[in-house]
Amino acid sequence: MNFKERFLTAMNHEEPDRVPVMGLIMDPATVNEILHRRAVDFPGMLRKPFLRGATRRLLNTNWFWNRMYYDNFSGALDASIQLGFDANWTIYAMMQLQPDSDSPLGVVWHDAFGRVWEMGSDEKGNMSVNYTRALCDTEERWEAWVEQKAPLFDRLVANATVFHKRLVNEYGDRILPIGYAAPGIFENSWQAIGFVNFTKLVYEKPEFVRRVVEFHTELYLRLLEGVMESGVEVVLGGDDLGQKTGPLMRPSLIEKLYGESYRRVADLVHRHGRKFVFHSCGRIYKFLDHFVDWGFDGIITMEPTAGMELARVREQVGHKLVLIGNLDVSHLLVRGSRHEVEAAVKKAIGDAAQGGGYVLSAAHSHPFVDPQRLRWMVEAAHRYGRYPIAA
Amino acid sequence: MDELLEKLRSSLLELDKEATLEAVRAVLQQGSDHAEAGVEAVTDALDQVGRRFQDGDWFLGELVYSGEIAKEAMELLSPHLSAGADKRLGTVVVGTVQGDMHDLGKNIFITYARSAGFDIVDLGTDVTLEQFAKAVLEHQPLALGMSCLLTVSAGAVGRVIEELDRRGVREPVKVIVGGAALTEEFAREVGADAFAPDAVTGTGIIRAWSQG
Repeated sequence: MNFKERFLTAMNHEEPDRVPVMGLIMDPATVNEILHRRAVDFPGMLRKPFLRGATRRLLNTNWFWNRMYYDNFSGALDASIQLGFDANWTIYAMMQLQPDSDSPLGVVWHDAFGRVWEMGSDEKGNMSVNYTRALCDTEERWEAWVEQKAPLFDRLVANATVFHKRLVNEYGDRILPIGYAAPGIFENSWQAIGFVNFTKLVYEKPEFVRRVVEFHTELYLRLLEGVMESGVEVVLGGDDLGQKTGPLMRPSLIEKLYGESYRRVADLVHRHGRKFVFHSCGRIYKFLDHFVDWGFDGIITMEPTAGMELARVREQVGHKLVLIGNLDVSHLLVRGSRHEVEAAVKKAIGDAAQGGGYVLSAAHSHPFVDPQRLRWMVEAAHRYGRYPIAA
Repeated sequence: MDELLEKLRSSLLELDKEATLEAVRAVLQQGSDHAEAGVEAVTDALDQVGRRFQDGDWFLGELVYSGEIAKEAMELLSPHLSAGADKRLGTVVVGTVQGDMHDLGKNIFITYARSAGFDIVDLGTDVTLEQFAKAVLEHQPLALGMSCLLTVSAGAVGRVIEELDRRGVREPVKVIVGGAALTEEFAREVGADAFAPDAVTGTGIIRAWSQG
């Protein structure tokens, strides 16, 4: 079997030749280390007063941003191929640098949806970005934002379509790019408003929240169409519905506010003959039955540090969902021993891979995930993941 | 009065902000000397919220919203408390470590700890070693709380504890850490006194410390 047959067989809950392995490589630090590439230290350049203006203008140019983004993900796919993965996720985002006196760097990224992302870099100059706060903390600000940014949403969908298409065209014969339409409807709803404000609005201005959800549902469906135009066989959607100890919001409330949106997402993907896999961090046992009900084909992540156990998830959902992930990135794939990595791979395969329907992968990605541990993970999957797999 | 206080408690537990604030006003209309009983009712309700959250019956959104309602209730009640009636349990210095700008978890903890009777010194986000150490020296708190969401910033937690050690101020202060990037094991490794998986547990831990 080749990588594609292997992955898609597992997605159909059938047993391939061996358990497929998926990379979640995306961080420039990981890409550059695997490919022995030098980082371009944009945060360092932005710290230098004489370079700041020119660097900011360059990063805010649509063609340069797209080129930088594409280079990083083509690197991620090269790195993933080099390590022996069958698939790797590919994600497009669009941001603009804006001055911000609250930021240590003096500038922050604003994304199209109204989020602020803080930029940092490691000692080698590899850039990292993280969502930190909301730009539209009131109903009025959110309305003004979406009206003002309408052209940006069109550009986001167009850029994402080109980005995924190019990656599938250039890498599709060597690895399975898993197109990730991100962020998802729930995150886009609350992160631009802030969790505390959004929660208040849910109780105090439910009509406004419904309008926000509808707006993001329509936009998300357009983004999904764009991602699928590339020809990706499996589409990822991402919404962190959980936190360390449980759901961010009551599952019945999520059902009421977002259930119909998620059903439309799954329907759209299925109408295109693709599979839909949902990413959520956190402890999400209470959502598993909803995922099945909404029509999702699989879930990815299952964070061990939030208490997610593969065997328990499999027991709860059986083969109604494909399971992807669960290998720890707090210790195991950062500084775990080879023996620990092998033991974790064997356990994951034993817990979830019988009958197909399991794809081995890290639970998530971050710049400290060690490529050597990823290599050990892939090697162990090749060694212990051959079907038939004993109970 | 008992009926009004019960109305205050139950309204908060029903997440009915208007009814809660109305009940607070009704309590105060009976006389300012009832403000203390009002505070106790709010604190009781928040304890109940905490138990429901820890039992998995309530979720973060409900924890946050009840905290926000409680904050508004306390703003109405506080000016009417007589001197000495407001029992303080101690000072807690809180911040998100350097390199990390996230504050949701920290802010929920602050809401609950404040409502429980702690004085909070909030250092904000992206707090340097120097700022943490300076605040501990200045406020001599019962506890120092550090929050960290990003794995890449987790190393800063241990460095702050080492800095407190180096300056000879580690011993009198209890260190509690929490956040998505941290685990119980990590907390032990870096020498923290406690790990809080959530704001409610964190508040319970510092409350136990305040009682010796």
